[in-house]
Amino acid sequence: MSGLLAVFRGEIRRIFTLRPVFSVLIIGSAFYAVFYPQPYLNEALRNVPIAIVDADGTSVSRELARRIDATPDIAVTMVLPDLVSAEREVYARKIFGILVIPKNFERDLLHGRASPIALYADASYFLVYQRVSGGVAAVARSLGAEVETTRLIGIGVDPALASAASDPMQLTALPLFNPQGGYATYVLPGAFVLLLQQILLMGVGLLGTLPGLVPAGNVPDGRPPGPFATLAGKMLAYLLLEAVILPLYLLALPYFYGLPRLGGVVPILIFAVPFVLSVSGLGLVVAAIFGNPLSVQLVLASIGLPFFFLAGFAWPTEVIPDAVHVVSLMVPSTSAINGFTRLAQLGAPLADVRGEFLMLWGLTLFYGGILWILEVRKRKTHEREDLGAGSRPPFPGVSPQSDR
Amino acid sequence: MLTRRHFRPGFWLVFWREIDWLGRRPFLLAFITIVPIGLMALLTGIFSAGLATRLPIAVLDLDGSDLSRSIIRMVDATPDTAVAVRAGELAEGRGMILSGKVHGLLMLPRNLERDVFAGRRPEVVFFYNTQTLTTGNLTLRGVNAAVPTAAAGIRLSLRTAQGQPIETAQAAIAPIPVQTHALFNPTLNYVYFLLAAILPSLLQIVVVTASAYAVGIDVETRHRLRVLRRLGGGLWPAIAGKVLPYTIVFLLVLGLSDAVLFGILGLPLHGRSWLLVIAGLLFILSCQFIGVLLALLLKPTASAVSIGTLLTSPAFGFMGIGFPRLGMNAFAYGFGAVLPGTWYLTVRIDQTIRGTPLDLSAKPILVLLAFVVGLAGLVAFRLESIRANAARDANITPPAALSEAVS
Repeated sequence: MSGLLAVFRGEIRRIFTLRPVFSVLIIGSAFYAVFYPQPYLNEALRNVPIAIVDADGTSVSRELARRIDATPDIAVTMVLPDLVSAEREVYARKIFGILVIPKNFERDLLHGRASPIALYADASYFLVYQRVSGGVAAVARSLGAEVETTRLIGIGVDPALASAASDPMQLTALPLFNPQGGYATYVLPGAFVLLLQQILLMGVGLLGTLPGLVPAGNVPDGRPPGPFATLAGKMLAYLLLEAVILPLYLLALPYFYGLPRLGGVVPILIFAVPFVLSVSGLGLVVAAIFGNPLSVQLVLASIGLPFFFLAGFAWPTEVIPDAVHVVSLMVPSTSAINGFTRLAQLGAPLADVRGEFLMLWGLTLFYGGILWILEVRKRKTHEREDLGAGSRPPFPGVSPQSDR
Repeated sequence: MLTRRHFRPGFWLVFWREIDWLGRRPFLLAFITIVPIGLMALLTGIFSAGLATRLPIAVLDLDGSDLSRSIIRMVDATPDTAVAVRAGELAEGRGMILSGKVHGLLMLPRNLERDVFAGRRPEVVFFYNTQTLTTGNLTLRGVNAAVPTAAAGIRLSLRTAQGQPIETAQAAIAPIPVQTHALFNPTLNYVYFLLAAILPSLLQIVVVTASAYAVGIDVETRHRLRVLRRLGGGLWPAIAGKVLPYTIVFLLVLGLSDAVLFGILGLPLHGRSWLLVIAGLLFILSCQFIGVLLALLLKPTASAVSIGTLLTSPAFGFMGIGFPRLGMNAFAYGFGAVLPGTWYLTVRIDQTIRGTPLDLSAKPILVLLAFVVGLAGLVAFRLESIRANAARDANITPPAALSEAVS
C-alpha cells in the first residue's frame, strides 16, 4: 500500500513538474476548450444566398420569392435573367442554389394545373443543400396548400373540409434532444469526449516515456513497488487529474456554450471511471510500444481525426462494415462517445448504456493485463541485470538519441 | 574534409544524404508512409458504403388498420429507413431511442383510418433523434417521403369520390411541386463529400508534424544547421535538398489515396487533373514549410511538434466541410483562411465533383502558391537571422567560437 501511495504521489508530482506533460494536460486542455468549438458556435447556417431566375414575373412568382427570402434559412441575393449566368455564380461560390420559376407559373396555378418550379441546390456541401432544399420545399408546400384551399372554397366546398382535403393526414416531425438541429449541439458533446481522450492519451503517453520514474528513496523499506502497486498508483493519479478536467469538459463547458443537457451528473461521473482507466491503460501501452516521447506525440497527433468518425456519431454505425466496427471497439472513444452522449444529451439511464459501460471495463482489464505482464517482465530483466546478466534497453532501436 | 573532395556540395548531396538518413530512421519513415496509409484505409473502410440506407426506426401502430399497415410498408420501402421493431407503447419506443437501438419512432394514432376518411385530419407523429444530426435527418427524409405519398393517395380518392376527374385531382394535390436537383453530387454520396475531404486533412496533420520533427532534429544542434548549409553549397539548395525527399514521399501517399478514391470508389473528375496535381504539390509544400518554420522558431523539437499538432489536429472543423465556412464566426473564418487545407479542399471540390470553369478555378491555387512563396521566404529569413546571431555571438565571445570550430 505504501508503495502504491509513493507511486501515486510521484506521478502527480511528475504531471506538474515535467514541462511537456504539464503543457499537454493543463495548457492543452484549456486551449482546446476555447479553440475547438469556434467553427460551430453559430449553431445553424442562416441566410444561405441563392439566386432566383424568374421567367414569369407575376405577382404570385414575386410572392414566392419574397416568402423564400423571408425564411431564416435562405436569402435571395440575386435575381438573374437565365440559368447559365446563375450557374456561373454557383461555380464562383457567390450563391448556393438557383430557383427557376418558369413562364406561366401564375397562370397554370390559377387554372388549377400543377405548376412546378425547379430548384438547383449545391450538394457539394451537404448542410447547404439541406438548408436550401428544405427551405424552398416548405415554402412551396405552404403556398400551394393555400392556393388549393382558396380554390376549393371558391368552388363551394366547406372551408374546414377544404383544408382537410388538401392535407388529410398531417405528418408532425418532432426532433428529440436537439430540437433546433444545432450543429454545435450535435458535434461538441462527442468532440469533447474525443478531446478528453486525446489529451489524456498524449499526457499519459509522455509520462510513460519521459525519464524520471519514481525515486527509490520514496519507498520506506527501500524495495521498489510491485507491478500491481505501480499500475494502481499511476491509475489513481490519472483518475485524480481527470476528476478535475473531465467535469470541466463534460459539465462546465457544455453549460458555458449553452448546450442542453438532460442527464444527471452522477451517471456521467460513474461512466467516466472506466473511460479514464481504459484511456490511461491505452496511453501506457502506446508509451510502451513507441518508447520515446517524440514518437508518441507524432503517432497520437494523427489518429484523433479517424477516431471521431469511428464512433458512429458523424456516420451511422449500422453502415460501418462489421470488421471495421469490431476493430474500432478497441479504442475507448468509440464506446465512450456513444455512452456519454446518450447519458448527457438524451438523458438515458445508466442501464441503457451498460453495453458501452461493460466494454470500457473490458478495455481497462485488457490494457491493464498487458501492462501488468510488461511490468512483471521489466522486473525480471532488472533482476537479471542486478545479477550481472548484462543490460539491455527494453526496446532496442527506438531510443531517440542512439542514432544521432 | 574527405567528403569535400569526393562530393560536390549542392542540392543532390543534401538530397541523397536526407534519403540515406531517412532509411536509417525506420520510425520516421513508417510515420510518413505506413501510418497515413493505414489510417486512410481505416477511414475508407468506415465510409465504404457511401450511402447510409435502411436506418432502423420503430413503429407504434395504435390503429392496426389497412391504412396504417400500408403506411408502415411504404416507410419500410424507402431507401433511407427500415422498420426494425414494433413498439407496444410510447415509453417502449422512447427507451429504444435512448438505448440507441433505433433512430426514430413513428406513431400512428388510434382511429387513424376512420378519422382520415371523416376529414378530421388526424396527426401522424415521427419522433426522431437529432442529437446525431446526420442519421436523424436521413430517417426524417425517409419518413417525409413515405407518409405524404400515402396521404396523396388518400387525397386522390377523397377527390375522385367527390366526382372530380383524376387529372384535375392529381394536379390539385401538389399545386407547386418542387423539382429539386442536387448539383454536383446527385446521389448525395458521403464518399465524395466527406471521405474525399478527410483524407487530405489527415495528410495535413502528418506533413506538418513530420516536417517539424525532421527539421527540428537538425535545428537542435547549431552546428548541424551549418553543416547542412555547407553541404548544400548555399541556403536554397540546402533547403530544397532537405525538404524535397519528403515532398516526394507525401506526393506518393496522396497519389495512392487519390488512386483509391478515383479508381475504386469512383470519385468523379469533372475538372482538370493537372490543376489537381499542381494544387496537391503546393498544398504539401506549404504544409512542409509550416512544419519547418515551427521547428526553426520553437525549441526543443517536442514543442514544435506539439504546436504543429495543436494547430492541425482540430483543423478539419475549420475547413468548412461539415459546417460550411459561410456560417462561422469571424475568428473561425479567419483561422480557416490561413490553413493550406482549406484552399486545397476548395481546389479538390472544384476539380473533382464540380468541374469549375478554368477562369474561376484560379483563386485557391494562387492562394496556395502565395503560401508556399511566403512561408519559404520566412524560412529563409529565419535561417539567415539564426546565422547572423551565431556570427555575432562568435564575434563577441571568440573563445566559444574557437572551441566550436575545433569540435
